[in-house]
Formats: sequence, structure tokens, C-alpha cells
Amino acid sequence: MKMMWFHLMPYPELPEDFNQKHRSVWVDIDPALFDRRVMADTYDAYIDQLVYAEECGFDGICVNEHHNNGYGLMPSPNLIASILANRTSRAAITVLGNSVALYNPPIRIAEEFAMLDIFSRGRLIAGFPVGTTMDTTFSYSVNPSDLRPKYYEGIELIRKAWTADKPFAWNGKYNQLRYVNPVPRPWQQPSPPVWIPGGGSVETWDFCAQNDFVYGALTYYGYKMVRETVASYWDTVEKAGKDDNPHRLAVTQFIGVADTDAEARKLYREPAEYFFNRSLHVYPGFTDPPGYVTEASVRARYKSQVRALARAKQSKHDLTWDEMLENGYVVIGSPDTVREQLEEAGRELRIGHMCAMLQFGNMSDELTRYNTRMFGEKVAPGLRNLFAEYDDPYWPSHAVGGTHFNEVEAGSVK
Amino acid sequence: MSTSATSDKRLVYLFGIAGNPELSPAMRALADDGWEIIVPDLPGFNGKPGFVAPSSYIDWLTVVWDALDATGALPCPVIGASLGGMLAAELAALRPEVVTKLALLAPFGITDADDPGFDLYATPSAERMGHLFAKGTPDAFNDRFGELGTEEAPVARYLSDVAAASLLWPFGERGLASRLHRISAPRLTMWGDLDELRPVATSVRWGNVEVIPGAGHLLEWDTPDEVTARLRSFLTG
Repeated sequence: MKMMWFHLMPYPELPEDFNQKHRSVWVDIDPALFDRRVMADTYDAYIDQLVYAEECGFDGICVNEHHNNGYGLMPSPNLIASILANRTSRAAITVLGNSVALYNPPIRIAEEFAMLDIFSRGRLIAGFPVGTTMDTTFSYSVNPSDLRPKYYEGIELIRKAWTADKPFAWNGKYNQLRYVNPVPRPWQQPSPPVWIPGGGSVETWDFCAQNDFVYGALTYYGYKMVRETVASYWDTVEKAGKDDNPHRLAVTQFIGVADTDAEARKLYREPAEYFFNRSLHVYPGFTDPPGYVTEASVRARYKSQVRALARAKQSKHDLTWDEMLENGYVVIGSPDTVREQLEEAGRELRIGHMCAMLQFGNMSDELTRYNTRMFGEKVAPGLRNLFAEYDDPYWPSHAVGGTHFNEVEAGSVK
Repeated sequence: MSTSATSDKRLVYLFGIAGNPELSPAMRALADDGWEIIVPDLPGFNGKPGFVAPSSYIDWLTVVWDALDATGALPCPVIGASLGGMLAAELAALRPEVVTKLALLAPFGITDADDPGFDLYATPSAERMGHLFAKGTPDAFNDRFGELGTEEAPVARYLSDVAAASLLWPFGERGLASRLHRISAPRLTMWGDLDELRPVATSVRWGNVEVIPGAGHLLEWDTPDEVTARLRSFLTG
């Protein structure tokens, strides 16, 4: 199992009465809530934390894309990734990702991802999420019915642009381009590994299985809440006649580690409550625009009452600390406690890539670094051999653990 | 109500954002007057499985034109409400020879960025219907597709909403304002003063609007008598 350090980059100073005075943390959040000095210091600290994660032995460092958002300050993850590519030398630069349908033409993504892959000498993981409704249909006003067709066409165009050995014309439904010829092409050929972060749509599982893309079950509610989703994904992989290599899957998990269980519960309670009960205060009206979910997923939704009940509870933003722990939204404890839970999760769900979220809510820089170091030194070593018998063809060729990593380490590439 | 023309005294009705669960009271009154009400069968709005939204506005208009032509009703008077008002106005602007009279009820298609109206789709789906009416949601809309059963009805409702949203998203301009001058048919435009989706103050760009007091967005349901009286006068005048 590879260990990835995933940063959401939340704004750390939302007021205590945010839920009472504001409708939503996303889309129409009051811009007056953001102080530019806090913002600048926060970016500095968060970027340093990602660099520190590499020092602590993490295999990958992850950024993602959100718009008009109070808990995700990266409308352009590529800008952050660009800095990380320059300040690190081993970790996979994991951008999860660029929401393809938002960019016109999506050639821009082909160009920027190729630049990142060149900057990092072949350490990029290229993530292509459909994107949440808040990011895509509301913040960027993409017609929900157009979102997925644009997305699929965009990915096809990007991948062809990366591998074409001469300029070509593209005459798609949404993009008509006379000269597609991005410079540079990526370091990794034919393509950086493609990961698809998803929220549980039927079509995404099939898309990943058919194309040998990694499926990223990006959940804020922990591995227990995505059991059903992940099981359906593996069923889809099997039906597609593909192998069950655990590295086909990545899962996010909030984690807090301390010397003892009692100390961990004491240290991580406040940032967890900040995140779940304040940062996730999203107005429900922004979550279900007609057309975003396909007919097949709508049918599946009405049959999944368990998930519906859990979502109803989560949306109230009044979760207790005990509920967060019992339901596995956060995995908190001593190194042994955390390792045991993650090993159980890894085996049950077949997780080849664990995206550990070790900073959450308003967690201080000091505690984040402590958490990162504890995980890197005392938890990760006990998990690293899980699924070691499997190759990982979904990993960047020149990141630690990649097929050409020794070449980089020896300095022959740089 | 029918989907193909059999009478000389006929009109086309293009329904609104929430579909056409049954003829509105205003349309029923016109039917009682002897009008044959032709309602084209538009994909998506009928809730049938397998609907895929056309990928552009011009593709949608093509689908609507095909459905209208299939009725055999045109040329004739056309009444369009809400979303259907936008389609009716487009028809009268782009194919003026097929619209003999044009009645519009709170049409979409022209938007004021300073007063864009209530964002229906940024609202939990269970609450949406309540914003379309000023006098309570009629049973016909609360029970949309109820005949399909508890598993299929919500899917059909969703597909109908997908059809409407794909045409209107994000409630912005479609260029209709620049085509209004092409409408040659006599025109009646009505608006509810309590319309949340299309604020009545923004109706001025349509010119000569008759404002109906106490009516919401789907005004032929909220104030059928007032709407019917004006339609009768307009159609027979």
C-alpha cells in the first residue's frame, strides 16, 4: 500500500457562528469572510506541509480543485503542484485533479499537466474528476446535462494530444480545433497515470475499469462509508474482465495519530468538529441540479436507502465526536490503533493507495506536522508491505516506487 | 388535448418548466370553447426512460421543431408558457409563417443580470414546485408521474426536470432579444406579479405586457379565469 498525503487546504478562520449566519460554505459564500493576510500565511503553511510530507516518507502528495469554497482554497491546483514539483524530488505529484469540462478548450489542461510532468521529471499523476455540482454547474455554470459528455470528450482530446507525433485537427461535439499540437508533451509516455476521483457514479466505475484508470473514492466520511461504492467498483472491474490489482483503487481517510488513544482523541477533536460541522456546511440546494446524475445513477440512488439515511444525517452538520469516531469518519488513535484500522480497511476494500488526510479543519501547523511525522514514522512502515506482491502500473515512472525511480535518485535524469 | 391536429379550430400549447401533467384550467376552458389543444410530445418531459438531452440550444430547437411538425397543426395560434413561451417566441421569430397568433405567459429567454430571478435548480428538489405557484401547488404537479409507481415516478420526474434544466441552464440569455423584431404575428404577453422565477420588473424588455395580480410563474394555473378571459379575447379578436 502506498501512502499519499492529501491536502484540502481549508480556510482556518471561519467564525464559530458560521452555520447560523451563512447559508453555505460553497458557491455563494460571503467573500468578506476571507482575510487576505490569513490567506497568504495559510497558503505558505500548507505548501510547506506538503513538502514536509515528502520528508516524512510519503510516496505521494495530493492537491485538488474547488471553486467558490471555504474549505478548499485551490481553484487552481496546478499552481500549487508547480511549486511542489520544484521543491520536492521523490514524491508523486498527484493532482486530483482538473475538472475537464470547465476548460475551453481542454487543451489547456494537456499543456499544464505536461508542464508539471516535465517540471517533476515524470512524477505527475493526472487526475480528471467530473467535478462536484458546486464546482461545475453552479460556480462555473456548466449545463449539468453537458457536463459528462464534455468531460469524456475532453479526456479523449487530452490523451490524444499527449501522444500524437504530429499536429492534428479535432472535430468534436464541444471542441473544434484546427491545430492541436501542445508543447511540451509529458515526460511520461504515452501518458502520466490517469486517476479518476469519483463520488460513486455508476458510469465512473465503468470508465475506470475499461480504460485502466485508477478509481479514487474521495470521501470525507471515511472508508466505512464507501464500502458499498468500492464493492460496486470492484464488481465492475471483474465484469470488465480486468485483474483485481489493489492499485486500481485510492481512498481518502482523515487520520489523527498520537502516542496514545486518549491523547489522540484530545488533540484531534476540535479540528474534526470544525471540519465536519462548520466547513461542510453546504446548502443542500447546490447538490442536486437536474442532469448532473445520469438516469442509471438516479435509479441506483433510490435503491440505496442506507446511503440516503447516512447522507441525511451528515447534512445536518451536528455530528457528535463519538459519531465521527464510531462511523470511521476519522481514524484516531495511537500508531497501533490507526495501523490496525487502516490495515483492516486496506484488506477489506483492497486499497492500493491510501490518501491520508492528516490536516483537517482548523488544525494548527504544529499539530499537522506532528501528525504527519507520527504517521510517516510509526504507522506507514507497518502498512507499506500490504499488497507488496502486486506491481503498481498506475504509478508515475519517476516517483519513489516507480519503475524508473532509481534513475532519478542517481541523478542521471536531472 | 391531442398530439396531432384533426380540427381547423386548433392551437398549439407549449407547456412550462414543470411539464404537462394535465391540461391547465385555462387550456381546459379553451377546449370547452371548442378549441382543439395540440400539445407536442417533447422528449424528456414525458418522463420516458433513455432520455439524453440535446447537446446545444440549436439541437433542442430542432427537436422541438420536429415534434411540432409531427403534429400537423402548424400554421395556427401558438400559446407558450414559461419555458414553452421561450420556445414559442423562437418559433415565431425563426419560422414566422407558421405562427398566426402568439400568446406568451411569463416566457423565459430574456434575462436581466441585475435581477435574474429565483434560481429554481439551486433549491432542494422537494421544495421546487412551491416556487412556481402563488396559490399553492396543484395536485397534478405534486403527483407528477404517480401512475408509474413509487420506484419509477421519481426517475420520470427527474428526467422531466433534466429536460427543462438542459434547455434553461443557467437561466441566461439565449439571444432571443435580438430576434424579437422578427415576430410578425399578433402577440399577447402576460405576466404574474408574484412570479419568483421571472421577476415582473424584468418583463419590460418584452414590451406591452399585461400583468396579472396574484399570479406566480405558472399563471394559467394560479389565475385561470383572468388568463382565460384574455386568451379568449385575443384568439377571437
